[in-house]
Amino acid sequence: MTDRDDLDMLAAEFVLGSLDTEERASVTRRLQHEPELNALVEEWEVRLAPLAEAIEPVTPHPGVFARIERQIDAIQATPVAEPEPARATAPDNVIALQARLRRWQWSTGIASAAAMLLVAVLLLQPRPEPIPQSFVAVFQQNDQQPAFMLSVDLSTRKLSIRPVTAEPLQDKSYQLWIKADPLGPNPRSLGVLNDNFELDQATALSDFDPELLKQATFGISIEPDGGSPTGQPTSPAIHGYLYPTGMDTPEQNR
Amino acid sequence: MTDVFSSSAALSPTDSGAPSAPAPTDHISDLLHKVAREDRAAFAELYQATAPKLFGTVLRILNQKSWAEDVVQDVYVKIWHKAEQFDAKKASPITWMVTIARNSAIDVLRKHPLAQRAPQEELDLIASAQPDAHSQLENEQALRQLNGCLEELEEGRREMVRLAYLNGWSRANLATYFDQPVNTIKTGLHRALKLLKGCLAS
Repeated sequence: MTDRDDLDMLAAEFVLGSLDTEERASVTRRLQHEPELNALVEEWEVRLAPLAEAIEPVTPHPGVFARIERQIDAIQATPVAEPEPARATAPDNVIALQARLRRWQWSTGIASAAAMLLVAVLLLQPRPEPIPQSFVAVFQQNDQQPAFMLSVDLSTRKLSIRPVTAEPLQDKSYQLWIKADPLGPNPRSLGVLNDNFELDQATALSDFDPELLKQATFGISIEPDGGSPTGQPTSPAIHGYLYPTGMDTPEQNR
Repeated sequence: MTDVFSSSAALSPTDSGAPSAPAPTDHISDLLHKVAREDRAAFAELYQATAPKLFGTVLRILNQKSWAEDVVQDVYVKIWHKAEQFDAKKASPITWMVTIARNSAIDVLRKHPLAQRAPQEELDLIASAQPDAHSQLENEQALRQLNGCLEELEEGRREMVRLAYLNGWSRANLATYFDQPVNTIKTGLHRALKLLKGCLAS
């Protein structure tokens, strides 16, 4: 039996449902980064799909859909509970947020990250609710991978940046920018990130009004070592908007 | 409650003037594409059209209604978030959704193996799949072909395949029920799956 046959049988048994707990969990993990296995699994899903015809439809309790909607509302009001430290694979909530960010981009008509350098977009929750104090922004590089996460506590105006997929650069620096209408047409530098992805001064936001921060767009650009020589971004920036984390807001039914 | 598999329910009456109304599969695909753009109305329609099938799928594996409802809730939240990953070129929308439901239910079952129901009760449920009167033609053809291939398996292996796929039985569950070593079950499943693959490709 060849390796390819073994892989095919692993995929087949995964789809069939006969793998035990550990093997199943192992395949689930491998599917994230093994396209060959993924493709075999997809083939078996289609191959065995007619078996599901034997399943009798059963109507679930009428309250289930309302629960689903409430859960989606809650997730949307709470994109991330707490920014996760960087890991080799992006955690689920980052993936969910990434998907959501892409949808926001569609809905706001944004074509590409590079073309839309630091465009201010107001992103508030669509329904009135108490204003939360904690916000998170996701910076994505190419509509695929979130590169950084920025969290801001508006009450203290402290910010922290965590890399998700971003790597330290050789002889280059990441620089953080803010853009908001009251600040004029040009982005303003918030500082240069050091090799630990920290801003040299953690109080970079202390001069800004919280209301302005909520409406601002943040950008991260790649600059010559030490920061932009011109005072303006010299490369296309990846951008992010603040989302309320909303942990302290009670869920409201619509 | 409409169902995807009923021939008329998913056809949009507003399209009656068009030369051909969209097939139910296309309609479900359209709904998924709208859900990917966060269209709540489309999501509600998608739920109405597909929830009985997905709930039936999960219930068959978990055999407990309130538990299955919790899992179905998670399944639709996943569908809401993953809708943009749906690729109509790879699988039908129902296959894609049933896959999410089966994976979720089997994952939950593996974590709570005590929920396994009595084997005899299971066997009563594995009567051979028949295309119901409302199935689409393409489903019918695929089902007829797979049933034909299943017929070529020896009876025990046919049962194993169905018990694993429909009820989420692991090799160990099958080994206990068929009173065979786990490795024998594994070998038997692999033979059955290879035979099915070859038969379906012919």
